[in-house]
Amino acid sequence: MRAVCVREWRESLGNRLLVGMTILPPLVILAAGIAAVATAALVPPSEKDVAALYAASPAVAGLDPKDAVQGLIATYFLILFMLIPTVVPLTIAIYSVIGEKSARTLEPLLAAPVRVGELLLAKSLASAIPAVIVTWLAYGIYLGAVGILGSAAAVHAVTAPRWILAILVMVPLLTLLSVNLGILISTRVNDVRVAQQIGGLVVVPVVGIGILQVTGRVVLNNESFVGTAIFLLVCDALVFFLARIAFQRENILSRWR
Amino acid sequence: MAVVLRTERLTKRFDRLTAVQDLDLEVGEGEVFGFLGPNGAGKTTTLRLLCALIAPTSGTAEVAGFRLGREDERIRASVGILTEQPGLYERQSAQDNLLFFAALFGLSPAVARAQTERYLRLMGLWDRRAEAVATFSRGMKQKMAIARAAIHEPRIIFLDEPTTGLDPDAARTVREFIAQIRGEGRTVFLCTHNLDEADRLCDRIAFFRRTVIRIDTPARLRAELYGHATEFRIIPSPRPDHLVKVQEVEGVKGAHFENGSIIVSSADPLLVNPRIVRALVGAGAEVAYVSDRKASLEDVYLKIVEGT
Repeated sequence: MRAVCVREWRESLGNRLLVGMTILPPLVILAAGIAAVATAALVPPSEKDVAALYAASPAVAGLDPKDAVQGLIATYFLILFMLIPTVVPLTIAIYSVIGEKSARTLEPLLAAPVRVGELLLAKSLASAIPAVIVTWLAYGIYLGAVGILGSAAAVHAVTAPRWILAILVMVPLLTLLSVNLGILISTRVNDVRVAQQIGGLVVVPVVGIGILQVTGRVVLNNESFVGTAIFLLVCDALVFFLARIAFQRENILSRWR
Repeated sequence: MAVVLRTERLTKRFDRLTAVQDLDLEVGEGEVFGFLGPNGAGKTTTLRLLCALIAPTSGTAEVAGFRLGREDERIRASVGILTEQPGLYERQSAQDNLLFFAALFGLSPAVARAQTERYLRLMGLWDRRAEAVATFSRGMKQKMAIARAAIHEPRIIFLDEPTTGLDPDAARTVREFIAQIRGEGRTVFLCTHNLDEADRLCDRIAFFRRTVIRIDTPARLRAELYGHATEFRIIPSPRPDHLVKVQEVEGVKGAHFENGSIIVSSADPLLVNPRIVRALVGAGAEVAYVSDRKASLEDVYLKIVEGT
């Protein structure tokens, strides 16, 4: 497994497009998040903004408007951070499988005395580990930036235990879901772009939760986090099971095109 | 000679298509075994079956002492396969490609490095070990793929069309490699369309189309098909009465016209050929030359495989 992971990483690092697509989304989200918090710290919100904010998020009513805005903005960007583990590993996983299909390197690989389950796991980890590290790193930088630029409310919001748990638990779960979905899709299509378009659907629920949170229709509390984590765990198991079925030696050699 | 590969009624079906049917084979240790058949005959499927890459529909096989279906991982560890496509990691160097596969086959880092050097030198690629495989020619890639198949010193090496598309120099390197493997007492299972190569390299040859049609040594196959044949070139061209005279000679098994010559097969050419020359001269024929006529393996192949 170690050999497969190391080879995958070498291959990924040699692909500039893939490296760019891996680094760009976290950088954009991170830069936008820091810029938003900094702007909120420098530019006081208008009365209209504050009224809309209190209406959308009754939880912050009564807080100093500037603090409340910063706190909310800081939190919204944490939701966007959840996009990183869906986008980054998906790209790596798709390149990993479709790349091997197009280069016809799978048959020699399967001729080695490795179990296909091990191979699938190694490929999953090779895609998942960079994504989780990149997300955690981005979160760490974001925490530092909010600590320097943001108000006490913003710091309080981004260091809330449920968010730390979300970053620690839900990021790996989302990553695995994205990776195995990417592998599953890649078994059926030969075009990286098509696979990315299909796989991109995985971000829809995350964006949906973000929109519901912003519009005040959903309040992310401890219960909803636990529920989401359990849901993701079930999805992970299901998608891994389906990927395992698709990733059979004989299927790969006889049916994959 | 110990048997290193044995199959009994090995069959593989894909839905309605039967790719391999009731295959019975025995291949010995240290043997170069040729596997010949037309495109679509099921050769690649057979290779995949014997390398435990796909499961048989029915029948049994023992490869390198391990039972197919029960000890597949051990079979894969004991065999090496050159697939139709080289399938190399093009962005990586020659050395990294081989080191990766050495690691997959469980070789320690020190052994992997030594084996990588050995095979890259053997294939004449050591000087280019640090270069990305993408910069290699087709022949170099094929040699790399062969090195990869052999890196873990398997007991049996399956080679699928190893010299297809190679220049004469690269093809010679591959043939020398096969001879060396054989010299080390290892078995080579050679799928090829190159009949001349099969004739030169193989101890035995199997003609195959979904199942084995015929197995024998190249020499016996040729002799059995045509016996000892001799060409009598007659100028300007042989007449029908010349053929009749030849057919009447004692010891002649068969005679026919072919491109301005009479081709004669007999059990003992040393005894019979002088009689034929006398008969032809007596009939007024101008015999320009007499030459030994060897049936090519291509003739045998066409007769056996195309005739089925």
